[in-house]
Amino acid sequence: MTDKKHDHHDQDHPVTSVKELFKIPARIDKAAPHIVLIIVIFVFLVLFLTCFYTVQPEEVGVLQRFGRYIDTAGPGLHFKLPLGIDHLKKVKIQRIYKEEFGFRTVKSGVRSEFEPERKIDEALMLTGDLNSVVVEWIVQYKIKDPVKYLFNIRNPKKTIRDLSESVMREVVGDRAVDEVLTIGRMEIETEVQKHLQEIFNYYDMGVEIITVKLQNVTPPDPVKPSFNDVNEAKQDKERLINEAWKEYNTVIPLADGEKKKMIQFAEGYAIERTNEAKGNTARFLKLFNEYRKARQITRKRLYLEEMQKVLKKVKRIFIIDKNARSILPFIQLGDKVHEGGEGK
Amino acid sequence: MKIGLSCLLILIVCVLVAVMSCVFVVDQTEMAVRTQFGQPIGEAIKQPGLYFKVPLIQEIHYFDRRIMEWDGSPTEIPTKDKKFIWVDVTARWRIQDPLKFLQSVKDETGAHGRLDDIVDAAARDTVTKNTLIDVVRDSNRKLQFTEGIEDLTRESDEDFKKSDVGRSQITASIIETARKLMPEYGIELIDVKITRINYVESVQKKVYARMISERNRMAEKYRSEGEGEKARILGQLEKEKKRIYSEAYKKSQEIKGEAEAESTRIYAQAYNSDPEFYAFMKTLETYEETISPDTTLFLTTDSELLQLLDSSRITR
Repeated sequence: MTDKKHDHHDQDHPVTSVKELFKIPARIDKAAPHIVLIIVIFVFLVLFLTCFYTVQPEEVGVLQRFGRYIDTAGPGLHFKLPLGIDHLKKVKIQRIYKEEFGFRTVKSGVRSEFEPERKIDEALMLTGDLNSVVVEWIVQYKIKDPVKYLFNIRNPKKTIRDLSESVMREVVGDRAVDEVLTIGRMEIETEVQKHLQEIFNYYDMGVEIITVKLQNVTPPDPVKPSFNDVNEAKQDKERLINEAWKEYNTVIPLADGEKKKMIQFAEGYAIERTNEAKGNTARFLKLFNEYRKARQITRKRLYLEEMQKVLKKVKRIFIIDKNARSILPFIQLGDKVHEGGEGK
Repeated sequence: MKIGLSCLLILIVCVLVAVMSCVFVVDQTEMAVRTQFGQPIGEAIKQPGLYFKVPLIQEIHYFDRRIMEWDGSPTEIPTKDKKFIWVDVTARWRIQDPLKFLQSVKDETGAHGRLDDIVDAAARDTVTKNTLIDVVRDSNRKLQFTEGIEDLTRESDEDFKKSDVGRSQITASIIETARKLMPEYGIELIDVKITRINYVESVQKKVYARMISERNRMAEKYRSEGEGEKARILGQLEKEKKRIYSEAYKKSQEIKGEAEAESTRIYAQAYNSDPEFYAFMKTLETYEETISPDTTLFLTTDSELLQLLDSSRITR
């Protein structure tokens, strides 16, 4: 009888045990193995996921196993050991980093905004002629060797900043303030970049400088007006000279014109005079030719003709006897006259 | 079997904990020194990786093996020529011998304190021994002045004596002085750089005043040059003007004179053929010109015109 019972039970067990596994049991101690299993599965899943990592196109993955550097991984999906055995550091190798000196960009865009307070401490420096100048500049760099960058220098950003300030001051300190403000800018940029890169290479930083660019370079505020005044003075000088030349170029051509006029007047006068002479003499000579042919009669004729003309015009004619010594009472031939003369 | 699983798990955890207290990791950026009861054991560990230690008894001290920064605080230092300046110095250094390092300064804070003393002192020493121009300039590169003021600025000024030393040499001398004391701390001093030099407030004011007067002189110079040039041009203008007018006058007079001469010559030539006839004609002309209606004419009976009025004549 008991055998039968046993058989009955045995038959039941395989079926119920599976059910039991996935049924939520009533008692905790019966539930324990299920919970543990779920936890274990969960943990393994998480661990599995941490075995993979992706590297973006602009990045590089630096892998350390138990702290020791073992590999640099390019872009893509890669495998690593979990549980902190393998540690991944991602480095943006294509990105251009920028350090600003003497100013800070608050918001960059089409029209960038800057912090109103210039960083005077960073910007004020001495020049070779022992003057002061305010220099703003930027340094742009790229991480060239991620392994060196991560493992050679502790604080690359601070190092880059300190060295940039030092080198810029060195280069500016070798130049006169005028050079720094005007003609020397490009030379300064080139030299600072060269110098700085040399130092970076000496430290083996794995950093490559893309560019060093000067921004605003100005005299310090207290002396700005005087510097501006020099520019104004230069302009004043130009202006004075231009004014003088302007006057010159107005007056002289005028004078030349006057001169021409004067000469032409004289020439006109000359022609007038000679033509007059020629005309008068021609008339005379013609007359003379005729006169030569009959002198006496021509003379008489000319004389009488003239007298005719003349006497017609005159209003008062006095005829005096040839023997008269002074003015005597006489016969008036014209208007009444009131004065009498004293006479014989 | 269920009990067996959880036991296994607990066992695994215990083993892990045990293992973890026996090993330590030295990172690529680190070095380590193993101590036992405060005493260092063995060589310093300079290679990164996984290492064993005796748990609880042995302690591991970590040190950074990378190049590190030291930044001194700015100090006021007088130069040899009594100019007071603020000098800010930074240094790059590295732990060369972690064992010595641990024994002497213990940690970075201690190291910084040491560096403060040594490097700042070296900087001060060097700067006070040199003139300002030596500290500022690096080479004897000829300064270019764009405003043509080289003669105005101070060639004769004491400040500007040719710099034999130069900034690089000064920093080199600072490093040299400081380096001497480094080995006993296990520190390698890689370099020292002057990051900032600035005038002290009172000196800065004077420098500004000097810069202002310098610029004022330059402005003066430009303006007076302008005035001078203007005067020269206006002078030239006057001269030219006078020349033109006088030439014009001379030429026109010449022309007139010549014309007069020519017409005189023509008249003379013509009238000389019979001067008497000319006189006669001219006289007649004069009568015509001068006798006007207002003229009062006195004629004597002698006149040829009136000869017929003289009765004595008629009867002839």
